Amino acid sequence: MPVCLQTENLMKRYGSVTAVSGLSLTVNEGEVFGLLGPNGAGKSTTLYMLCGLVTPSSGSVTLFGRDLHDNFLSVISRFGILTERPAFYNHLSIRRNMQILAMLGQKDVNIDRALDRVGLLNVSQRRVGALSHGMRQRLGLAQALLSEPELVILDEPTAGLDPESTQEILQLLRFLADEAKVTVIFSSHQLQEVEYLCDRVGVINQGKLVACEEIENLLSYDPAQVDVLVDSLEAAGKRLSEQAWVKSVETKKGRLRVHLNGGTVHQLTAFLVSSGFKVAGVMPRQRTLQEYFLKVLSR
Amino acid sequence: MIDRVFTAYLAELLKALRWKFTYLGPLLIIAMVGLAPLLYPVAGEGQNPFIFVGVATSTALNLLGLFILISYCAGLVSSEISSGTIRLILTRPLFRHEFVLAKLLAGATYAFTLSAAAAITSWTVALVFGNISGVEYGGEVVHTSGSMVRVYALGFLIALAPQFAFVAYAVMVSTYVRNTGAAVITAIGTWIVVDAVKYPLGIAKYLFGSYVDTPWEVFRSQAEGLTVAWISEKTYWCLGTSAVAAAVFGAVALIGLRRRNFNG
Repeated sequence: MPVCLQTENLMKRYGSVTAVSGLSLTVNEGEVFGLLGPNGAGKSTTLYMLCGLVTPSSGSVTLFGRDLHDNFLSVISRFGILTERPAFYNHLSIRRNMQILAMLGQKDVNIDRALDRVGLLNVSQRRVGALSHGMRQRLGLAQALLSEPELVILDEPTAGLDPESTQEILQLLRFLADEAKVTVIFSSHQLQEVEYLCDRVGVINQGKLVACEEIENLLSYDPAQVDVLVDSLEAAGKRLSEQAWVKSVETKKGRLRVHLNGGTVHQLTAFLVSSGFKVAGVMPRQRTLQEYFLKVLSR
Repeated sequence: MIDRVFTAYLAELLKALRWKFTYLGPLLIIAMVGLAPLLYPVAGEGQNPFIFVGVATSTALNLLGLFILISYCAGLVSSEISSGTIRLILTRPLFRHEFVLAKLLAGATYAFTLSAAAAITSWTVALVFGNISGVEYGGEVVHTSGSMVRVYALGFLIALAPQFAFVAYAVMVSTYVRNTGAAVITAIGTWIVVDAVKYPLGIAKYLFGSYVDTPWEVFRSQAEGLTVAWISEKTYWCLGTSAVAAAVFGAVALIGLRRRNFNG
């Protein structure tokens, strides 16, 4: 897959403070890449270095095979950015804001289409100063999508949105990636969003990229931990805990969580059925992004 | 580059036209000049409308006009920085120096608008309340209305030079001071301090601010019936110091914005 973005040894220092250190990252075209990290880890600084708002102290950013610094105009016109807490001209309408940005974009763009995508077309004459946080966030996304970009960089795109709006935004981003083949790079604190949306995640801590993994690998099933739905939890748990191939059993939210000790899922299922229990479901537990995130940070 | 600067300039105009403060400045100038006849007669004994035009235009622009101009221009960049809209602009295909140039052009347009407001109002008042057929001295017409208009037009154009320098000065402050209010106070405060110490320090000759009234002196002299040269040494100093100041302030503004990070 062709590379969309590449950073090499990217570093940003503010006086004696190093915000980002030696960050080397590659994002492929059409990929949805999530940037995770605790507050102050350097996520926003990294994203802003990718779009020229922050000048790196050293290192390079290559987008679409071209150095960002040397080819700023041609590169930046190919991507859209949503910054954290996007700001607009409050005294102007949504449409007027978009018109100004369209003018500066130096490209023929379809403002109506961009507004329609985020559900703001019907309120385009409304003054931005009167918009709710959620609507401003949508407008932020609309301006990022205005020039039909090949890459969108989003800093906390769903921050402060209600669940319904969040879902709509995530679906739009997934659609852009799947149907329009837009590369998406975004940062978020919401691990569920990242799980839903991303193909790959990178974890930044104290300015360093400490891990980078395919989401599929992270969310794989753990065959040593199995959730069981069975008619008699207590009796089944007791029987299972007596088996040598079971390490431990705990009751959790109306089901059994069985930690296997060399046993298999098949063996477990067969044992329960042969013991006369009515088994409604057996499911190896899926690893969560949160577990991975916390594990990486504790290293 | 020119088309991008021009587009950014048009975007600035679009923003400005929808902002109430943009209209406040010209309205104040119009009000000041329009009400000036209450304090300064347009016609009468030893008085002619041209003297009124010269005094009203220069007083309105050099006192109120400069404060309004500096206040407006000091907010041009700082307001974008403090509100965060600068991140919206700088992530478009536009270089930072092009953005600053567009701001300078917007400021220059505002300076021109203030001057035009003062000029149109003062001439309108003169037309309504006086006879502007020419300047008489000892019963003879020494300067025709046509020659007075030409001298005024020249003064108007030359007066734009120090005003453009003030625009560059205020925009420069605006790129370094993040808060709009602080930028306005810094720009006006520094100007007042420099204006107060320029004579004791002996640097007045080299400061463009010393020449804001120079362009109007010829017109006022001719309005009183005197004949003076259109261009004097002082005029050259006015143009020269203004050009140098505008270039230096503009360059410092460009450097200021170029080095800045916008990450929050």
